[in-house]
Amino acid sequence: MEKQELTQRVKKVVGEVLKIPASEIGDDANFIFDLGANSMQSVLLVGAFEEEFDIEMDEDGALEVQNIADAVDFINGYL
Amino acid sequence: MKKRSSLHRKNLHKIFYPDSVAIVGANKVKGTVPYDILMSIVHANFNGVVFPVSPGERFIAGIRTYKYVIDIQEDVDLAILVFPSAVCHLALEQCGKKGIKSVIIISAGFREIGEKGLERERQILSIAEKYDISFIGPNCLGVINTDPKSHLNASFARKMPEEGPIGFLSQSGALCTAVLDYARAKHIGFSKFISFGNKADISEIDLLFYLMEDEKTKVILLYLEEVSNGKELLAAAREVIQKSGKPILIIKSGRTEEGAAAAASHTGSLAGSDEICDAAFEQAGIIRCDNIVDMFNRAIAFAYQPAPKGDKVAIITNAGGPGVLTTDAAIKTGLRLAKFSDETAKYLKQHLPSTSNRNNPIDVIGDARTDRYNAAMTATFKDNDVNAVFVILTPQSMTDIDLIAREVAKVSSHYDKPVYASFMGEADVQEGIEVLQRNGIPHYQLPESMADALSCVVNFNKRLELPASEPGATSDINNESVHRILNKATGNNQRLIAENQAYSILKTYGFPTLPVRVVSSEEKVKPAANEIGYPQVMKIVSDDIAHKTEVGGIVLNIQNEDEAVEAYGSIVRNVKEKSPESGIQGIMIAPMIKDGVEVILGMKRDPSFGPVLMFGIGGIHVEIYKDVSFRVAPVSKEDAMSMIEAIRGYPLLGEFRGKKARDVQLLQSCIVRLGQLATECEQIRELDINPLILLDKGCYVADAKIMV
Repeated sequence: MEKQELTQRVKKVVGEVLKIPASEIGDDANFIFDLGANSMQSVLLVGAFEEEFDIEMDEDGALEVQNIADAVDFINGYL
Repeated sequence: MKKRSSLHRKNLHKIFYPDSVAIVGANKVKGTVPYDILMSIVHANFNGVVFPVSPGERFIAGIRTYKYVIDIQEDVDLAILVFPSAVCHLALEQCGKKGIKSVIIISAGFREIGEKGLERERQILSIAEKYDISFIGPNCLGVINTDPKSHLNASFARKMPEEGPIGFLSQSGALCTAVLDYARAKHIGFSKFISFGNKADISEIDLLFYLMEDEKTKVILLYLEEVSNGKELLAAAREVIQKSGKPILIIKSGRTEEGAAAAASHTGSLAGSDEICDAAFEQAGIIRCDNIVDMFNRAIAFAYQPAPKGDKVAIITNAGGPGVLTTDAAIKTGLRLAKFSDETAKYLKQHLPSTSNRNNPIDVIGDARTDRYNAAMTATFKDNDVNAVFVILTPQSMTDIDLIAREVAKVSSHYDKPVYASFMGEADVQEGIEVLQRNGIPHYQLPESMADALSCVVNFNKRLELPASEPGATSDINNESVHRILNKATGNNQRLIAENQAYSILKTYGFPTLPVRVVSSEEKVKPAANEIGYPQVMKIVSDDIAHKTEVGGIVLNIQNEDEAVEAYGSIVRNVKEKSPESGIQGIMIAPMIKDGVEVILGMKRDPSFGPVLMFGIGGIHVEIYKDVSFRVAPVSKEDAMSMIEAIRGYPLLGEFRGKKARDVQLLQSCIVRLGQLATECEQIRELDINPLILLDKGCYVADAKIMV
């Protein structure tokens, strides 16, 4: 999958979970400081990524991912 | 202890202003400490009488020598002991009998060599107490007083420093000689220079109070290797700063992280000794410096120039690049560029060439001589919007470096505004720098250091103008039940307080907690879960488990009674599998608050500063982001607010992405009450409230951990 497409899909998932339009999410947006995610939403995000990309991620590692760009790289490692 | 402190205040004067000094242990061997100290006193033209005491000599350097200190007929104000440590107590005993109250013990061989030395230190302290003697040291370089009234160099430093407004205190003697050499090259002068060594009797705290009252001292510098009584140091520093307005600049060496690794809580893990030191110094208004160069860069700004009345600076340069660098540095450090008045603009237009830049920063162009610098300085000093002036020079072939330096000194002497200079380069500008330094114009090799120094002065003065806040303004709380829980736990050698009891403790201290139920069998789950309502969370209750997530001890977002039963079973299975040795007291059911900002409040007891509070962005990410701030308890509302504002995630607490601002006022009072809890309940070793869920109105403790 092209990185650009992957980034768009990650943003779409993040937008749905955090209830923010995907178009407003920057490539380097930080889940907490820029998007206001809390612990619950972070856990939900991990599940939503797994569902979207049909993968099973290491949860501890996934929860350490801090922004969109890192999430793209992290998910790419499972594709 | 208080009695000794008041005695020291009385006796310290005679350490710096003695009419007569006995050097006990003097000899005539050049290059030894006893001989060099005697010569330091003599060569510095001490304004008093010197009595060498040496059992084996009749004269040293032509001065009559006494066998014992008690043989001296006249009164002796100060004794300097340079005896071997093993017999120092005998010399001190004689000083006591002679009625000498002020002593400096130079000799090494005390606590720094181990248990035997520590015993010697206890012995001399007990003699000092017996005779009401106050002493500096042991294991120190001595003291210097440049005041012409005394002109005492009671040290083995090579030369007497210049007289000046800086009081310097150091725990390290070797550092003192390096500092004296550094300062002499830069014409930095000292009022008092004190190496206090092992601080067995007179400590840095006594010396801070002495320098507070010393009219020759405007700025106090302190080099510390250990903070042995942090709380007392903070209280003293706060008092000195508030009463005298004198800044205290500290280098505290040893930025290490030991101790943090073994911590059981997030707070314990994030609150390293150095972070605590930083926060504590900041809280007391102490300026912490990373190294000697930074310390003196800032000290000379305080010591040699008038205080700026604001944060607006005018920059004058003969080179564009350095002007931009300085502007960047000024803005970065929180300063503002002054906006020149029409009158200033007119004056600059008349006196500077058309190719120059007459806005701030003023570029007088590379071929500028004294006349252009004069015009730019005169205009900016007169401008009401200018609070301070930076003068920058780079050495072009036609630049009159030393003449411009003289012009800076001359023009600035007519105005009550500070001026700092940066003559950039090394060899060519040296003569000009020398002129500046001799005339009390602080000089900086780099514009960044110049901006940092002014910013430091501005911030210190701003803080002085704020009304003093009352740390620990507390409300009356009946905490008998809290002490009962804590005492029972400590009595049972229990390390962790069960979460439902932790909630109860926090509730007593006014923390809003969620309604919770604890169940210990599967059949009780449904009624309890229905009573709490949905969505809800379930958590393990165990005295043995600090990190519930790691053992699968938490289930979130439970929507109905079937999911509740399933969650109960899964938690019990997980804990039995992942932590089979842990006891299970039950499972806690609590409502789940979805739409809040998660923050962490924590407390850790520091051996030197006592209870230290932590605030930051909480939840499961607390140790990833490490976005936290610290203060020593008790804290005022203002301290609490400064903790809240200090974190990177502070904007999340305001209006954010369409959500209302969070209840920061309540958060502030929670932090103050946590400080009260930490101060009143010494049994608590560490505490985490993570998360405290902050709503637009109100907040809830969603998880709490208290360790005793």
